[in-house]
Amino acid sequence: MCILVNENTKVIVQGITGSVGSIQTKLMLEYGTKIVAGVTPGKGGVTVHSVPVYDTVEEAVAETGADTSILLVPAPFAKDAAIEAIDFGINLIVAIPEHIPVHDTMQMVEYAKNKGAKIIGPTTPGIICPGKTKIGIMPAKVFSEGNVGMISRSGTLLYEIAGNLSLAGVSQSSCLGIGADPVVGMNMSEVLKLFEEDEHTKLIVIVGEIGGTQEEEASNFIKKMKKPVIAYVAGRSAPPGQRMGHAGAIILGERGTAKSKMDALKEAGVEVAYRPSDIASIAKKYAK
Amino acid sequence: MRLFEYEAKEIFRKFGIPVPKGLTVRSPEEAASAIKKIGLPVAVKAQVLVGGRGKAGGIKFADSLEEAVKETEEIINSRIGGYTVKSVLIEEKLGAGHDYYLGVTVDQASGSPIVMFSTEGGVDVEEIIKERPKSIVSRKVSTQRVFFEFEARSMCKQLGLRGSALIKVSSILHRLYKVFDKCDALTAEINPLIMTKKGGFYAADAKIEIDDDSLFRQTDLNIEPEARVEDEMKAEAMRIGLSYVRLDGDIGVIGSGAGLTMATIDLIKDFGGKPANFLEMGGGINEQLMFGAVKLLLQDKLLKALFINLYGGINPMVLAAKGIVKAFKELKPQIPVLVKLVGNEQEKAWEILESAGIPVFKSIRTEEAVEKLMKLVGER
Repeated sequence: MCILVNENTKVIVQGITGSVGSIQTKLMLEYGTKIVAGVTPGKGGVTVHSVPVYDTVEEAVAETGADTSILLVPAPFAKDAAIEAIDFGINLIVAIPEHIPVHDTMQMVEYAKNKGAKIIGPTTPGIICPGKTKIGIMPAKVFSEGNVGMISRSGTLLYEIAGNLSLAGVSQSSCLGIGADPVVGMNMSEVLKLFEEDEHTKLIVIVGEIGGTQEEEASNFIKKMKKPVIAYVAGRSAPPGQRMGHAGAIILGERGTAKSKMDALKEAGVEVAYRPSDIASIAKKYAK
Repeated sequence: MRLFEYEAKEIFRKFGIPVPKGLTVRSPEEAASAIKKIGLPVAVKAQVLVGGRGKAGGIKFADSLEEAVKETEEIINSRIGGYTVKSVLIEEKLGAGHDYYLGVTVDQASGSPIVMFSTEGGVDVEEIIKERPKSIVSRKVSTQRVFFEFEARSMCKQLGLRGSALIKVSSILHRLYKVFDKCDALTAEINPLIMTKKGGFYAADAKIEIDDDSLFRQTDLNIEPEARVEDEMKAEAMRIGLSYVRLDGDIGVIGSGAGLTMATIDLIKDFGGKPANFLEMGGGINEQLMFGAVKLLLQDKLLKALFINLYGGINPMVLAAKGIVKAFKELKPQIPVLVKLVGNEQEKAWEILESAGIPVFKSIRTEEAVEKLMKLVGER
């Protein structure tokens, strides 16, 4: 089935009245996501695509019983929004914005941990459980319902590889971006554990990129896993010391290179694709 | 974004961290008058935003005014680590003493700040961790609480500091954490902190890296990130809100999303091409930004081809298409341009591009698009 969310997940949109918030709410509703409320301070009482808007998360949760939130607020307001959500009973936050200050993210992530809430992101496309629900900004049409779980550090590369899989007839159980910042909420290993436990998922695809040590740490976890994992890592030709778009995508000294990640994954028994479309042909082998 | 040593030391002064007497100069004449104020002997230090300047000849000592002026003359406008030295810090020379390392950084794996202290400063911290792990202590800090002075004392005591050294060094370590916290730093480092023969402690070097995403609230720092970038193209990209990295090839690349753009340059290399750049649009595409991106890359007259690879998730593809059409009409590129564009509203966007005579690649596979692009380049 799905990890973390399902077709009955009740979602609030924080920042629903903004231009991005409004458009993405419409796209999620069209997909079938149960968006039950929106929150924008000062805009309580209006509706957006028939979704009622509240001033506070407290009211939104009291009225609807939502337990998941998608943040579509500007980055400087993300910390306040996340902590408000956690304080009023939201236990899963999908933090879409990029450019949230790292110090804010560290506070959000630690606060969530202490309160038993989970954060996906920041700088994530969100999570999609194809055919069931989409709590994110990803284009729905590249995904299809099946039994491959996907974990990505990048948004658009997740779309590209999911699209390649779908074209090859390999469909997905759940796909999520864990975020491209130096500090993120749920890490690769935590998501791998959920896929390992999910009955429906038969194969897991990791879409990694340069920077940090997520892939290397995940490799240690993969050694203990039963399900097959395959991977692609972007940034083989990235020069060291340069931030490649994402705040977290930077090679520092010898740390964070694509080679280091590919080597660690291979050592853990992961088949590593050299090109994005190779993922589809490798996945097909496992699907047989 | 990294600060210059003199800027970092200015911040240290504000936070009560002792630094040597010093003045920043931009010419040998300014150096002469600075030395009169500071007194001899002095250290002459190139202000560059890269590490390893000592080995590259960027730090000199002088016992006389003439010597100091000559060293300044040699260092200013020289190239260190790929950067031109524009300013020099003239500082009182600290006598030899014991070197310590103090640092605070973001521990990515745990998602928390980490404070580090070592009794063996003056070398790279990675080297201390690797070679002499017993001479370094570290402590993760909860962001829900602050880093207390007693915690700094406990760290210093662990490595054998006593008496006034214990009090002075732990107080500096505690202040360094405050710098990290208040300035939204990704790293704040004193390497080395020197204990002089007289028992004084001074931050001989200072490294602060500020989180670019916090500059909207770090207004006291008064920093223009574009102004510290030498590459004109990169500075221009930053000004219009794009993320650009120069590479050494001749195929221009514009992508939406860092991961996809990185994969695209990897693929261009695989197919025998040489990417000229990495240019990522971020999540805020509009017509003007898209136009700006194409215009920026077309300034490079050596470009052999341009590949635009976009996904419509959060980005509106119709506006992207309009921006590309505008660029074609106004700039009339004379090189092959291939646009691959997929996602929300793709059909509408394709129509806009095709009715303006711009070829669109409709498959989702970047490999196929890159292959086609390389063919177009080969045919010319």
